[in-house]
Amino acid sequence: METTLLPPEIEEARQAFPAALAACGDLDALLRLKGAYVGRDGSHAARLMELLKAAPKEQKRELGAASNALKNAWEEALKARQAELEEARRNAAAQASGWDPTLPPPMPAGGALHPLNRLMDRLVDVFRPLGYHVEEGPEAETEEHNFDGLNIPEDHPARGSADTFYFRQGGGLLLRTHTSPVQVRVLKRIGAKGSDGLSELERTGGIRFLAPGRVYRKDEIDPTHSPMFHQVEGMLVGKGIGMQHLKGTLSYAMKALFGPGADVRFRPSYFPFVEPGAEMDVRCPLCGGSGCRVCKGSGWVELLGAGLIHPNVLAYAGIDPAVWSGFAFGMGVERTAMMVSQTPDLRLFFENDQRFLKTMGGLD
Amino acid sequence: MLIELGALKNELPALEGRSVQEICELLAGLGFPVDGVEAHGGTHVLEVDITANRGDAQSHRGMARDLAARLGAPLAPVDAAPLAEGEPLLPIRLEAGEIGPLYATAVLELGEAAGTPGDVKAFLAALGAGAKDLPAVDASNELLHRYGHPSHAFDADRIQGHLAVRWAREGETLVTLDGVERKLTPRDLLIADAAGPVALAGVMGGESTKVTESTRRVLLESAWFEPRTVRAMAHRHGLHTDASHRFGRGADPAMATVARDLLARRLEAWAGARLKGAWTVGAVPAPKAPIPLATALVDRVAGQPVEPARAAGLLRALGCTVEASEGGWKVLPPTWRHDLTIPEDLAEEVLRLIGYDGIPAVLPPLDSSPAPLDPGYLKRRKLALRLANLGFHQTVTLGFQDPQEAQDGHAMGDDPALRTLGNPLGEDYSLMRGTLLRSLDAVARLNLERGAREVRFFEIAPVFRATPEGLTETWTLGLVWGGELGGEDPLTPVRRLGGPEGRSHLLGVLKALGVPEAAVAGFQRWELTGWEAGSKVVLGWHFEIPLAALPDEGERVIAKFKPFSRFPVVERDLSLLVDLGQAHAPLQAAMAAAVDGAPLQDLRCVDVFRHKSLPQGRQAWLMRLRFQAMDRTLTGEEVDGWVQAALAAAKGMGAEQRA
Repeated sequence: METTLLPPEIEEARQAFPAALAACGDLDALLRLKGAYVGRDGSHAARLMELLKAAPKEQKRELGAASNALKNAWEEALKARQAELEEARRNAAAQASGWDPTLPPPMPAGGALHPLNRLMDRLVDVFRPLGYHVEEGPEAETEEHNFDGLNIPEDHPARGSADTFYFRQGGGLLLRTHTSPVQVRVLKRIGAKGSDGLSELERTGGIRFLAPGRVYRKDEIDPTHSPMFHQVEGMLVGKGIGMQHLKGTLSYAMKALFGPGADVRFRPSYFPFVEPGAEMDVRCPLCGGSGCRVCKGSGWVELLGAGLIHPNVLAYAGIDPAVWSGFAFGMGVERTAMMVSQTPDLRLFFENDQRFLKTMGGLD
Repeated sequence: MLIELGALKNELPALEGRSVQEICELLAGLGFPVDGVEAHGGTHVLEVDITANRGDAQSHRGMARDLAARLGAPLAPVDAAPLAEGEPLLPIRLEAGEIGPLYATAVLELGEAAGTPGDVKAFLAALGAGAKDLPAVDASNELLHRYGHPSHAFDADRIQGHLAVRWAREGETLVTLDGVERKLTPRDLLIADAAGPVALAGVMGGESTKVTESTRRVLLESAWFEPRTVRAMAHRHGLHTDASHRFGRGADPAMATVARDLLARRLEAWAGARLKGAWTVGAVPAPKAPIPLATALVDRVAGQPVEPARAAGLLRALGCTVEASEGGWKVLPPTWRHDLTIPEDLAEEVLRLIGYDGIPAVLPPLDSSPAPLDPGYLKRRKLALRLANLGFHQTVTLGFQDPQEAQDGHAMGDDPALRTLGNPLGEDYSLMRGTLLRSLDAVARLNLERGAREVRFFEIAPVFRATPEGLTETWTLGLVWGGELGGEDPLTPVRRLGGPEGRSHLLGVLKALGVPEAAVAGFQRWELTGWEAGSKVVLGWHFEIPLAALPDEGERVIAKFKPFSRFPVVERDLSLLVDLGQAHAPLQAAMAAAVDGAPLQDLRCVDVFRHKSLPQGRQAWLMRLRFQAMDRTLTGEEVDGWVQAALAAAKGMGAEQRA
């Protein structure tokens, strides 16, 4: 600093400052010192500003820089000292009360819901405003509900013992391979004529439900497969239902689930129990669509299968497909959870490490 | 399947000039998502995902057909100069009726072989199907990928007498081209000669009649076999070949003679072959009746009115014969589209060509009353949230169990054999679990081994029980709490949950959840055990209960009002010396009974003191009594009276007041 530019009284104040600062024993003294050095009126800093205004043009630049530097140095030192004094006051208070509040407090116990359950519950919440309720069925199912009623041909490979777990007791008792047998159960229930000659479907005019649940397939456990996993199935039956309703419903749901910016696309696909069939993709959450390992370069990730209920499925349950129509969709919960959370290995969901559950689960 | 871009463009010239990305998008829009693109020697190979219903799409021509219909562009003509058919050179008998109704063949004499052309070798290499440099084999392979129709070439000089398409006889065998001897059953469809089987129809040829470098004459086979039969054979013999894949999903019968012609012409061109004769036995199966399609159905499915002329035009572009009728059309699908059988299939085709992107997004009208959420579902959900708030972590574990561990885990009347899987992943996964505690304990131990100080887990899942009446699934809550509690801050002392008093922590949770006392009293095997330094130790406590045994919230949104007192509470502590063997519950009950009629709000032990300064065999309990009347302020005298009465009852059980 070019001290020669400073008038003697300021230079004196500058030299006295460190000692004056150290001498401040409490916050009140510090505030007084602050007022004397950098206060708005009558302070050394204010005096400097006046000098600067009056200074000859050729000196202005240099004097300005010097006074700014000085003022900043004072302000910073005052601030640091203030923090020290405040800390000291807190410590003194702690000592006076007999307990130091900066000691670690006892933490209330914090548990967590499992991320797979959270996602399934969230889906129920997303569909609730559209009038969907929850339907469930057993995990040990019959071939009739798991395959026959879903228009799955008798020689379909999924029926084989390489794909599906069968109970040793026989009779075709198996572990359901999807949540779709719940469709068959519900359709049979609402299609059955009551004592008044009307079916539940005819009385209510339609149904819409979700069927979340655990399903089983004969896959070895690896980073992307598990012999047990979860699905959420959805179904709507009414009159005059077309693909536009499926698309409207799922577009709403994906925005509710992933945010209003969620980008989805529909494309044709095939499942025996729907016609037409569709798959829905979402814009890859990892790369945003530019192409990466997760989306195999395509920019899209497959999220669910869907379609209009196949007339054979309605007819099997005793519902006239000439009168009633509807749609169905099904989503793999683990797959979606992995995609949303970028969890690298499916096995983490079943290992139940408390640290994983704490970060992934939380409460809802 | 793999699609080589150059060959695809050959079939559909309109693709020329379109980028790979554009073609992938077009394919995905038609229902053929591309799983991968690989650059391969100046061309690109697409890995296209084809759904099981589209046997017709399993070739370059098939892909091009859908693209052509979508783009409204013409396909390149199939360059097959038909062979002149003549008298059969050997008898061919069709003995399996509609399962093998058509057999086109030709016999050619091979010349001095020039070999398979380089561009065909490159095409096959790009598809990962290396050329054999046997023109008959390579040409058949090339045609399969290009046009989707499987064909086969026999060494004609090794065929004896005649050929028959017939069912196998019990005990017959065939060594297939892969060198494996196949035991045949009467459900296997064969090509056989006078000496026996020479090929598994539509699946794989036989070793004894295969074409080799020394083959001089070839007999070509281009036939059609019923899909279900071929699928079953492929499955039975574990032979999933290119041919069985296509016949199994439905090949085009009308392509049989065309593929035969193409194959023969290639052998003439590549190997100087001379045609000795060509003939066809049987015929293309008669088409099924046309499918009636109403315009209204198309409009409903598509979610928008579709101009009838446009719908009909799109179906025609796919090869359908479309005839107008009342309110719609009569549609006859082309010979290659076995998947089109009902009106909805046709509506889907119209929509597929319009493009799913063009479907409007409309929420369906809410024209039926929504049903309430199932109370069972709500109960589980609330319970899970409650437990998470109480510090427990929800687990999801697989529903299987090792039968070795299940000895003690099943209830009366339960027969584990009935919940055993016939085809498990392994012995230790063979039983559907009858308890959640095995899985929860394993999770708890794993976490403790990994350094967790305290573990608190719960699971809500079905538990299986098998009785002679059937298999039941009971929604069950399992809980485990182990390790060390507290000790993480200066105010909370550390408590080892494995100690005998540790169970009380879990009991408090059970009380808070409203678990009935009888369920707690009747429960056995509370301990979460583990191994420490070679000996079995208690690490914590677990419990399980069917959800049905937990209280329901009932129908009310808010519980019925229960009046409470606005007068002061009077609290008195009694310090008692009791025997070390004294149980709390009976003493508490006796003291409470002694003040029957008094407005006693609560009576409980709030502190236990054990120390050598106390008389031998005794401990000190601090019993707290709380009184409060609904209608008045209690007087000191009446409270003193009750306290004395309670003390007298305690004394009656061997307690004494501690000075």
